[in-house]
Amino acid sequence: MAKLMEKVMDALDVETFIVCDSEDEGKGIALEMMKNLGFDDADLVFIEFIGPGARIRARAYLHRSGDKYGWLFSSREGGK
Amino acid sequence: MERKVLLAPLDPVHDIGLKMIKRGLEESGLETRLLPPDTPPEEIIRIALDEKFNTLLLSRTLGYGVAELLARFVDLADAAGLRENVKIGIGGMAIRPELAAELGFDAGFGPGTTVEEAVAFVEGREYNPEETIIKKEKTDFTAPYKYTYGNQTMGNLLDKVSQQIISWVGNKTSPGVERAKLREELWDYQSFLKMQENQEFLKKYPELCDQVPKDYYLQGKIHPKTRELTKEELENYQSFITEIKERMKVKKLQHRRKAPVIWNQYGTGCPFMDIGHIKVSESWGADGVVHFDPSWGARTEGFLGGDLTHQEDGTVITPNNLARIYQSLEKSTLWQVRAHRGLNTPETVVLAGKIGADFTKINVCYGSLAAGTDPARLTVDGFYAIKYAAQYKMPFDIVTNEELTGVPAYKAFAGMLIMADLAIKLGARPILQPLFAYSPEMMIGGQMEDNYIDFNAAKIYALRSIIDAPIWPGAPIGFLTQTEDRVQSSMSTSLHALLATALGVDAISIASADEAYSGGPISVPSKIDTLRGVEESFRFLGNAGIKPTAKAEQWQKEIIDGIEGVLKQVAAKGDFVQSLYDGLLGTREEGAYPGRAGRNTVEEI
Repeated sequence: MAKLMEKVMDALDVETFIVCDSEDEGKGIALEMMKNLGFDDADLVFIEFIGPGARIRARAYLHRSGDKYGWLFSSREGGK
Repeated sequence: MERKVLLAPLDPVHDIGLKMIKRGLEESGLETRLLPPDTPPEEIIRIALDEKFNTLLLSRTLGYGVAELLARFVDLADAAGLRENVKIGIGGMAIRPELAAELGFDAGFGPGTTVEEAVAFVEGREYNPEETIIKKEKTDFTAPYKYTYGNQTMGNLLDKVSQQIISWVGNKTSPGVERAKLREELWDYQSFLKMQENQEFLKKYPELCDQVPKDYYLQGKIHPKTRELTKEELENYQSFITEIKERMKVKKLQHRRKAPVIWNQYGTGCPFMDIGHIKVSESWGADGVVHFDPSWGARTEGFLGGDLTHQEDGTVITPNNLARIYQSLEKSTLWQVRAHRGLNTPETVVLAGKIGADFTKINVCYGSLAAGTDPARLTVDGFYAIKYAAQYKMPFDIVTNEELTGVPAYKAFAGMLIMADLAIKLGARPILQPLFAYSPEMMIGGQMEDNYIDFNAAKIYALRSIIDAPIWPGAPIGFLTQTEDRVQSSMSTSLHALLATALGVDAISIASADEAYSGGPISVPSKIDTLRGVEESFRFLGNAGIKPTAKAEQWQKEIIDGIEGVLKQVAAKGDFVQSLYDGLLGTREEGAYPGRAGRNTVEEI
């Protein structure tokens, strides 16, 4: 999994709908979900709570500026 | 020989694909006849023979029983002697080229077949996909403009103000101007590439810099928020970019119209990540890319050197970083390096010009009223920057970002036109960059309560009536209309692109769908979101138009009157720099604060 994630240029977004009672609850669930998925560097880009729950876009940064990018190295290793 | 093509669907209802091919064949001058769906095979064969068709194109969309149906058709055609004079092609959703070949058809066209491919088959020539690969070329969209004034009163006022600036700058210089001269005289790009830097340059340059660049050159220290890219990273990058460039294809977003040129900004902090973003932008259709440097770079006298990556927004300008980015660009990609707002304005133009930039960005008014640089300092630096832009044949845009702090459009436009007139006098090719934005002026004044069209259209109408000059709304279009919802954000950008296109502007800068997200860096997919959206908006609009309401004309007149009023005041004052300090081009109440960076650094020669 970690090796696969090296191929992500910068960030991985998760878009979904969370059934919840409030925006705060939706936000908490979304961030906890990202943590449970193994993403330490996660944030909520967008949340819109209406009616039955919240439409969300959570984001995990796999490579931030200044990092050593896996894709720069894996391109060579896995290349032609 | 006259070529006649018979088209026949072997389906009960589906014949859209054949209808599209029929149109393509007719546009190529071929005679065609399309039979109705469900015509029996025997009937198709009889018509082909009786009417002496040269080619028969069949289609089959439905998948069930396709092999048996086609095999039977081939048997009947053979028995009737059709194959002797008529070549037969079969295409459609249910067709795979291997199946067609196995059954004895002359050609098989599966899903995704282009009309051009079918036309090539009929015309008996080899299909060359290379012909359909989009070929893009760099265009200087300023070339058609004459920079003449439609409003001569305005032209006369601008002439007076330009003369004030020229005369004021005449005997002045600054550390920024001196560094630019040094860079111009002693720094050579080709020698730099061969790692043969001029020792005299390296000796004199640090003396004109702030402590941070000085420490870099004299002690090898780098800025605390940066690090040098390692040898291993640089080597791997080389393999990466070589592989990517081999398979790169560029795309065109414009549909029927040639304009506007689409610009994307990059500036992740790291040249490698930037190049990743740039290759994506090029692949998804951006025509040009804009280098975005960190804000501290604009407040620091002098450039650093080396291959530097930065942990925050904005990619540090160093010769190495710019050269690497330039070398990664496709030949057709326009490249802009912004010089507009800080203490390195003229040197940025020289460095970018020497490396190969196509465009730059300069605006003394914005840079000194809303970006922190002292008005006197930036007037001297901006003057020389414009001269260098002319020398390096780099058109530059004059962005009116002071609107974002609350300066009314007419005041920002007065400043923009002053810069444009000065540029014309100095032999440069300026581009007007009005904002397409939901600016504070709009929020407070309510001009955009009904729609985002009228006031933006009024801006374009006003500028067009004043001067014949290129217009490049930015930056980015739709600024402050986008939210963190990527659907809304992409939609808003696309609709502003549609409006800009309908208004016939020359270029636009578009944001990513992450425009309103401030929690982290812009992601690559968010750039694709808006490029795709803009492409769809162009497809939607074609050569049709958008009709603003009568408000647009009313506001056009108000903007023109406003600009004229400001120019009269600046001309009467007789001192452009003092006009900036005194708020004639934007007051403190409007959010325009004369900057402090570089204050008291202007010297008389």
